[in-house]
Amino acid sequence: MTLTVKLIGPLIQALGFSEKAIYFAAVPTPDAVLKTIAFPADRPRIITRNGRAVRPDESLAEGDRIVISPLYSGG
Amino acid sequence: MYGWTGCLLRVNLSAKTWKRESFSEDFAHKWVGGRGFAAKILFDEVPPGTDPLGPDNKLIVALGPIAGIPAPNTGKAVVAAKSPLTGFYGDGNLGTRVSEHLRKSGYDALIVEGKADRPTMLYIEDDKVEFLSAEEVWGRGTYATNDWIYAKYGAGVGVLNIGQGGENMARYAVIRSLEGRAGGRPGMGAVMGSKLLKAIVVKGSRPIPQADPQAMRALGAGDLKKVGQLDKQTGWSIQSTNGVLAWCNEVAGLPVRNFRKTRHADAWRIDGERLNDARIATYGCPNCTMRCGITIHDHEGRESELDYENIGLLGANLEIFDLAQVGSLNYLCDEYGLDTMSAGCTLSFYADAIDRGVVSGDFKFGDAERAKELLRLAAHREGPIGNLLADGSLRMARAFGHGSEAYAMQVKGLEVAAYNCKFIPGQALAFGVAAIGAHHREAWIITFELKHTTRESYGPEKAAKVIELQRIRGGMFEFMVACRFPWIELGWGLDNYPKYFNTATGLNWTLDDMWRTADRIYSLIKLNYLREFPNADRRGDYPPAVWFDPANADTDGPIAGQVLEADKYDGLLQHYYDQRGYDNRGIPTKVTLEKLGLSQEAAEVEKFAKLT
Repeated sequence: MTLTVKLIGPLIQALGFSEKAIYFAAVPTPDAVLKTIAFPADRPRIITRNGRAVRPDESLAEGDRIVISPLYSGG
Repeated sequence: MYGWTGCLLRVNLSAKTWKRESFSEDFAHKWVGGRGFAAKILFDEVPPGTDPLGPDNKLIVALGPIAGIPAPNTGKAVVAAKSPLTGFYGDGNLGTRVSEHLRKSGYDALIVEGKADRPTMLYIEDDKVEFLSAEEVWGRGTYATNDWIYAKYGAGVGVLNIGQGGENMARYAVIRSLEGRAGGRPGMGAVMGSKLLKAIVVKGSRPIPQADPQAMRALGAGDLKKVGQLDKQTGWSIQSTNGVLAWCNEVAGLPVRNFRKTRHADAWRIDGERLNDARIATYGCPNCTMRCGITIHDHEGRESELDYENIGLLGANLEIFDLAQVGSLNYLCDEYGLDTMSAGCTLSFYADAIDRGVVSGDFKFGDAERAKELLRLAAHREGPIGNLLADGSLRMARAFGHGSEAYAMQVKGLEVAAYNCKFIPGQALAFGVAAIGAHHREAWIITFELKHTTRESYGPEKAAKVIELQRIRGGMFEFMVACRFPWIELGWGLDNYPKYFNTATGLNWTLDDMWRTADRIYSLIKLNYLREFPNADRRGDYPPAVWFDPANADTDGPIAGQVLEADKYDGLLQHYYDQRGYDNRGIPTKVTLEKLGLSQEAAEVEKFAKLT
């Protein structure tokens, strides 16, 4: 299945893309997405699925939009 | 006493007099500095009913025991007064070299009283205070005024100044410093203007008293470097706060069209990526190694320094998705000395009211050129609309009537920052119970709501988180006077701050001591509020009514069909009151006040209002 992965803020430079579609052969979880894009394990982040909170082990679905952001304390 | 100079500078503009006053060690330990000093001085010296724009109001510039010392993000000052926007205690902080120079002149705070008889610039240099004419720059903007001051004294001095917004007493006029720094959202610039005080210039040359200067130098300078390295590692300042826009747009938290909508397909046009691409310079505060001031050329080719609140409220919320035009609106706010957040919300309210047929007018969402003209009218209080706009969204709504107050996006008169809480209950609470009105500076819990609890929850965990953040952000960082950004954005530990404090003062405080001081200050500000509004009740802690209106729910996206629920919000508010030790009106109980060492202040308030 194909997901869209969108990165926020400095993660764009850290991982080399802003937004892209990624194909997964098996049903992925947020954890699997992080592994696929080589997200540093120790880097604090917040992940949403279609704009809502998501568990790291939740099964994702075709067409989901996964957004990964660093932590902010506001503007 | 180490860490503090032990002195305040009291200036009277009417009499053109000044005196150095000492304060006690007890005062220093109880209120620490910054917001603590300001809240206590204003409580003691500005009685209820005082006209915020009259000579009896007092402007406070307050610093803390680590202010101005080379250590992470300490180049800030708190500015405070009774607010002409909200009618009670108001404050803000801004990056400025005043923090260093006022301390080097031997003062931890400045109290400005009275009213000058002509436009004045106050010049402070060690033991010298001069009342100089500012007539040459009266009527000019903050950039020109800053240049005029730098030409006279050099660019290294500390400067606080106002633009036309402050001069004409727009109720959300701010005080400005450096290239793009501004503070005092609830009209601290208007208070300066009401005193005919155009600028404050400070140059100090003495050492700042510290318990162990050598240890402080090693610790502070070393940590400044480490924070800079962390910023490079994380890349935070690539977009700085502006990264928040794209995220808010993804999670349905962006203010669009006067907060009617939570997302917009064109938001990317003004987001942090585009801003970084357009960057021509970067500015920051003194003692900062993670500079956040991304500067671009605006539509007219001028330099404009932007952060998230600016692009959120002057861009998305006005449906202006042209970055250069947003830069222009931001530049004009800075030049006139208007708060970008309140200006954005007031303009969007006006467009909304016209759109709904409540009033007639020629301003529409997306009209950048008309927005520029309206900012000019507001800053100069020109014409009926300029006058109304200068008074902020709440007063404008009361003038318009027809239920428009429901979508004046403010709490206690202060416009909300750029987070659309249509369905973010905890952040709505954070706005509702912020000490001075709807300011994001005190608690920002959106990521907590999405990561550690559920968005739908109105549970006690959210009230607890708001209190925790108020203690840290609205408390410790505001009375120590330091910027919060290294803490969450770079993971710089909170335990570093007692270390700085203790090295400067020779004391042995823990974070718990910080939280107790924060609670004391929050309670004192609540007492100030109650003394001004003796009939205050919990309705004052409610966010704008439109966030509860099912007709305003998103029709698609992550929160389709959902808005805040009033009965549940009220329950969340009660959790907050219970955990704080406040009564059902949201006022600290006598027991709470006694525990915090505020019995004397409680007795004073009881002359005007009831405590339980």
